[in-house]
Amino acid sequence: MMLTAYRVEMEKVFSKWRTYIGFIALGALIPIIVIALGIEGQDYLNIITQQFGSQFDFKGKLINGYTVSFIIFAALYVHVPFMITLVAGEVLAGEATSGTYRLILTRPISRATMVTAKYLAVLTYTVSLVFFMAIMSLGLGIPILGTDSLLVIRSETITILSADDLLWRFILAYIYAAMSMVTVASVAFLFSSLVENAIGPIMTTMSIIIGMTIISAIDVPIFDYLRPLFFTNHMNGWKFFFDVPADAESMKYAADWSRIAISGSVLMLHIVGCFVAAQLIIRRKDILT
Amino acid sequence: MPDPAIAIRDLHKSYGSFNAVNGLSLTVEQGDVYGFLGPNGAGKSTTIRMLMTLIRPSSGSIKVFGMDLATHRADILRRIGAIVERPDFYNYLTARKNLELVGRLSGADVSKASVDRVLGIVGLGQRTDSKVKTFSHGMKQRLGIAQALLHNPDLIVLDEPTTGLDPQGMVDIRDLILELSQDHRKTVFLSSHILPEVELTANRMVIINRGKAVIEGSVQDLLNNGRLKVTIETSEVTRAQQLLRESSLGDKLQSVTQGELIIMLERHEIAGVVQLLTSNNIPLSAVTPVRSLEEYFISLTQEVA
Repeated sequence: MMLTAYRVEMEKVFSKWRTYIGFIALGALIPIIVIALGIEGQDYLNIITQQFGSQFDFKGKLINGYTVSFIIFAALYVHVPFMITLVAGEVLAGEATSGTYRLILTRPISRATMVTAKYLAVLTYTVSLVFFMAIMSLGLGIPILGTDSLLVIRSETITILSADDLLWRFILAYIYAAMSMVTVASVAFLFSSLVENAIGPIMTTMSIIIGMTIISAIDVPIFDYLRPLFFTNHMNGWKFFFDVPADAESMKYAADWSRIAISGSVLMLHIVGCFVAAQLIIRRKDILT
Repeated sequence: MPDPAIAIRDLHKSYGSFNAVNGLSLTVEQGDVYGFLGPNGAGKSTTIRMLMTLIRPSSGSIKVFGMDLATHRADILRRIGAIVERPDFYNYLTARKNLELVGRLSGADVSKASVDRVLGIVGLGQRTDSKVKTFSHGMKQRLGIAQALLHNPDLIVLDEPTTGLDPQGMVDIRDLILELSQDHRKTVFLSSHILPEVELTANRMVIINRGKAVIEGSVQDLLNNGRLKVTIETSEVTRAQQLLRESSLGDKLQSVTQGELIIMLERHEIAGVVQLLTSNNIPLSAVTPVRSLEEYFISLTQEVA
């Protein structure tokens, strides 16, 4: 029954125009960015390496497929949650708004099955969108611009990762990004279970992401206690796959694994918590719409 | 004796201090077309929502085909097809796709032939591949009936099924209900606030008001063989009154006003009264029987309005 319910939900999700907004936006933006960076990327790199220019002499093909993919990842990663919220925030509340809860909850499937099927459909959409972003940026960047080392620049540090040490980092970073986006989807899904208007969960989730991001960016001591609790703070954990601790530079598969594990666990707690809460809410909900 | 199709006992549903359903009990036998009648706000839709597991009862029990709804939800819902209030669908999908999706969740045969068959039954055979957003309310109502029939349920719950239909549509739905009952032996639970609609289709009925059953029984007994309030209009009220008092019908006189007598009679007594008055040269300008239950129901409806 779960498989049937999942297929039904998938058909519903992928029959809606809004589901494709994210794919269309990424499908249009990524080629433009790849081409633009291919043409004028050196100027862009010159600006961001300006502070190191007097100390380092950069050699090699610095604008390559990996660099472009990394830039795209960092730039679009902030915006993808909004696309995901559009779908995840609507999936339960939309049934209430349109009155179709009455249609599906009077079927011989349990509410738990229905909620799980909907959640899996949201999960599928979310993961598909992240991997679409991965395939588009790496799939276009590498054939067009080739491969070489990646320069990761953080405030006063610079990490150079060789080309043969990058693919696994990107793969794991995208998997982590998928988990981050699933967290956003789960929060939107939870809000979607609470209300009967599809706009509410979309706006609330977006507001929370914006609010948490702003608070995280303001360097006030009182916020130091709050920041670790914000899932938005842990969503940036994908960058740890490109951080190599100084004492581990010679090791294979070196990355900041401890921070990845902590951030990953926080995200996972949010995912599980939101899903369980949504299940309990729908289970007890009187359908009055 | 088979289990009742529906047995509701002492059902309550409260929202804070408001009792939407307040100790409702009723029994629907298998094969019945059961009229569930009540004015707007009487608790009909709340009861149907509890029957369809959309809301939880505060207390009481619902059994369907002998199974407790609280413990056999899936088994019961597999045997029920329903329209609950407005017929809402996924507007961005076609009629066929809507039926396929909900049908799959009910374990129905959703082959093209099967979907076409039910859409044909409700008169939507020409619009199978139209998106529901292009449908009128009446067409959605028909689609609602189609989804209720698709998985061939034993019990069909219809909540105000003729709302929004044109006169021909209403006749079609009534004919369909009778066909489902007579030819296919389905049990139909028909909720309505229109007494004639129930009278034309149901064999048994209950009237509910303020969440309680007011009266339950066969439609025949309740409407056709019940007492009638007969208004007799005549220019000789005093003489007519005297004649009735001298007969055995004097006790049944309810009121006398200028030009009008009101008397409570059984249907078979009306002819005798007319005979008595006309044979004594009392000129009658009108004799209007109003069924007491109908009057009662209208008074309930007006009370709510």
